Amino acid sequence: MKKIKGIGALSIGLAFLLAPGSAIRADAASDKLTVVVTDEPKSLDPCDTDLSGNSRILHNNITEALVNLSPADGSVVPSLATGWRQVDELTWEFKLRDDVTFHDGKAFDANAVVAALKRAQDPALACEVGLATLKGVKFNAEAVNPTTLLIKTDIVEPILPNKMSAVDIGSPATPNDGKSRSPAGTGPYKFAAWTPGQSVDLVAYDGYWGDKPTIKNATIIWRAESAVRAAMVATGEAQIAYEIAPQDGTTEQDHSFPNAETSLLRIDAEIPPLNDKRVREALNLAIDRDGLVGTIFHQDAQKAMQAVPPSVFGFNPDIPIWTYDPEKAKSLLAAAKADGVPIDKEIVIYGRIGIYPNSSESLEAIQAMLADAGFNARLEMLETSPWLKKLLKPWDKERQPSILQTQIDNTEGDAVFTLPNRFTTDGNQSTIADAKLDALIAEASKATGDERKKLFEEAFSYIAVDTVNIVPLFHMVTIARVAENVTYTPDVQAGNEIKLKSISYR
Amino acid sequence: MSFTYFLKRAVFAALALAALMTSAFFLVRLTGDPANLYLPVDASDAAREAMRVRLGLDHSLPWQFLDWAGDMLSLDFGTSLWHNRPAMDVVLEALPNTLALGAIALTLAFIAAVIIGSIAAVNAGGWIDRGINVLSQAAASVPDFWLGLMGVLLFAVTLRILPTSGFGGPIYWILPVACLFARPFGTLVQIVRGSMIEALNATFVRTARAKGARGGRVTFVHALRNALLPAVTVTGDLAAQFAGGGGVVEVVFGFPGIGKLLIDGILKRDFAIVQASIFAVAVVIFFINILVDMLYASIDPRVRVE
Repeated sequence: MKKIKGIGALSIGLAFLLAPGSAIRADAASDKLTVVVTDEPKSLDPCDTDLSGNSRILHNNITEALVNLSPADGSVVPSLATGWRQVDELTWEFKLRDDVTFHDGKAFDANAVVAALKRAQDPALACEVGLATLKGVKFNAEAVNPTTLLIKTDIVEPILPNKMSAVDIGSPATPNDGKSRSPAGTGPYKFAAWTPGQSVDLVAYDGYWGDKPTIKNATIIWRAESAVRAAMVATGEAQIAYEIAPQDGTTEQDHSFPNAETSLLRIDAEIPPLNDKRVREALNLAIDRDGLVGTIFHQDAQKAMQAVPPSVFGFNPDIPIWTYDPEKAKSLLAAAKADGVPIDKEIVIYGRIGIYPNSSESLEAIQAMLADAGFNARLEMLETSPWLKKLLKPWDKERQPSILQTQIDNTEGDAVFTLPNRFTTDGNQSTIADAKLDALIAEASKATGDERKKLFEEAFSYIAVDTVNIVPLFHMVTIARVAENVTYTPDVQAGNEIKLKSISYR
Repeated sequence: MSFTYFLKRAVFAALALAALMTSAFFLVRLTGDPANLYLPVDASDAAREAMRVRLGLDHSLPWQFLDWAGDMLSLDFGTSLWHNRPAMDVVLEALPNTLALGAIALTLAFIAAVIIGSIAAVNAGGWIDRGINVLSQAAASVPDFWLGLMGVLLFAVTLRILPTSGFGGPIYWILPVACLFARPFGTLVQIVRGSMIEALNATFVRTARAKGARGGRVTFVHALRNALLPAVTVTGDLAAQFAGGGGVVEVVFGFPGIGKLLIDGILKRDFAIVQASIFAVAVVIFFINILVDMLYASIDPRVRVE
């Protein structure tokens, strides 16, 4: 009898556990939304939004910046600031909204921006924004009155408003002696909870100054596996999943969108035989980009001719895309060899595991293409840390000739965020030391308007055509899976912000 | 088990732990510079150097070691770079999940393996035995990763009876437990079958049969008790492996355990997390070994834990 009771209890338990539908969440019928991303955020501090994993949760959901960049053309549009003007070469004035309060009840005013900007640049805090976007310039903010702010710089900063789009303004109560794990901002969502290893929960903020969001409760979770992320939308456990691998993203729910990333191979042009321009041209001619797209790379990826996508200010549309011409590559190599260039020397292709979907497969294909053209190329796939040692200076003088797989993102919308570090003599990732290019980039960085555009276009052309320092591959796309009953169109900024307030159920 | 025995084991374990932690200290530092990994690629050299100073990585390795050893003695594992919290707090959140996951999977695998392995041994050479052999070989060799994804596809996407992944009530444990169950089940079935065949042919079993003991009693009391020792040994080893986390299973199912934490810690060069995880897992393994010794003694009275 005892045994029968035990079996009965077990059966009831199993029936309860396995009841159809018990595993499927009912979010679809409510105002709740679950979004699945690849990784847990490193930080939810407002000053760490330069890292996309943090930014996706924070930016324009919990915290906001003075301005935003338009996803359509990268132009600066108002957010917490209603207007701005350049007072003199070193001073900008911002007019702020007067109807905004932080989630913790504190008023948003010029003093709050002063505190946030100072905090973002505090070296002791090592904020992502301070270390990247704001690097190299000292930004001093002064509150003229609650709604008027002056930002002074120590050097000319023609794109200061663009840079301010990366500085999220946290509550003045944000600690100054450490990073915050419970951010308070001005955005449409309040931070509710961060369950380590599992999820971050947000709830709509009733006192939001802008249009109220439709979704009242949002949960961001993370799964490392693309197939699992995709399955979560298929089962209704999540409504949006990002970074779906091409092989998993084949349904009508899968939407590709440009992610502001450009994949390319950086050529180490200092080491023979890659110090010969003909060899570098041969590298470009040996790669069948049409053969890679739609197979290893997503079919919507666009063939690239420079290191930034067309949405970036300074993009040069007139640089010709490399054709696939292995015969010409062979003849260039033969000519170089005749001049004593050691073209038989082994060239290492350094790749980074998982830098984008099918990153290893793409390099395996490229290695085969280079071999067909007569290169002696060896592939070495690296994990992130050793790859960074290859990416960042200082490098060993006795190093092997190499090309390095990389992917450059530019969500800030201006070429200055891409060029100086990667293509000038002092750049920490630059394999090129060319005084003419240095001067061109320096001049472009200080210029404004059409002059700035023209100079950056020249710089891109110089890199691609005159020095041939890179093997551009593709302007990349990311796939997001969106549930059928959800209205959401990912745009070029979706890699850095989820824009929850624009999402609704049909 | 005497207190002296426990003390002796504890002293040896402490020495082993000290050697392990010292190795871990040097090995993780061979894997790369966290300053490169944690700062944006556009960060300046000055910012990288400042981070190295902040982390104490600017000192010589012996100096870093002495500093770290001092912290170890006071059980201070430092702050996780990635989580920005005390590393041991993060580890102690994840460890119970992994231990529970491993304990459930291993207990089920042990019980199932004892039953199925005994059935195979009793029917040695027959079609039941051959069928069990194929099943156990397959279970022992199936990759966790593949099994996990197939489980998601079948039970979550197609049948809609289980969640794809995540952490929560009992239903969230079924697929991870099933994936972790497979390999030890397959291995243990093979071991139980082999030792049971040996035991069933032993003289004491023939004596029991000659005295008129029933078949079931002979198999499950006389033979099985003697055949269990090798299975317990292997289960102890498997338990030690599981204490280090369900690895890929935790990654696939987004299960917040120590395996995923340790993998992330290594990939992200989060020295404090790696060291705290290794310490915690080593302590757990010490207690698992004690437990296995005690089990030995209770299964076979000839074995005395001294």
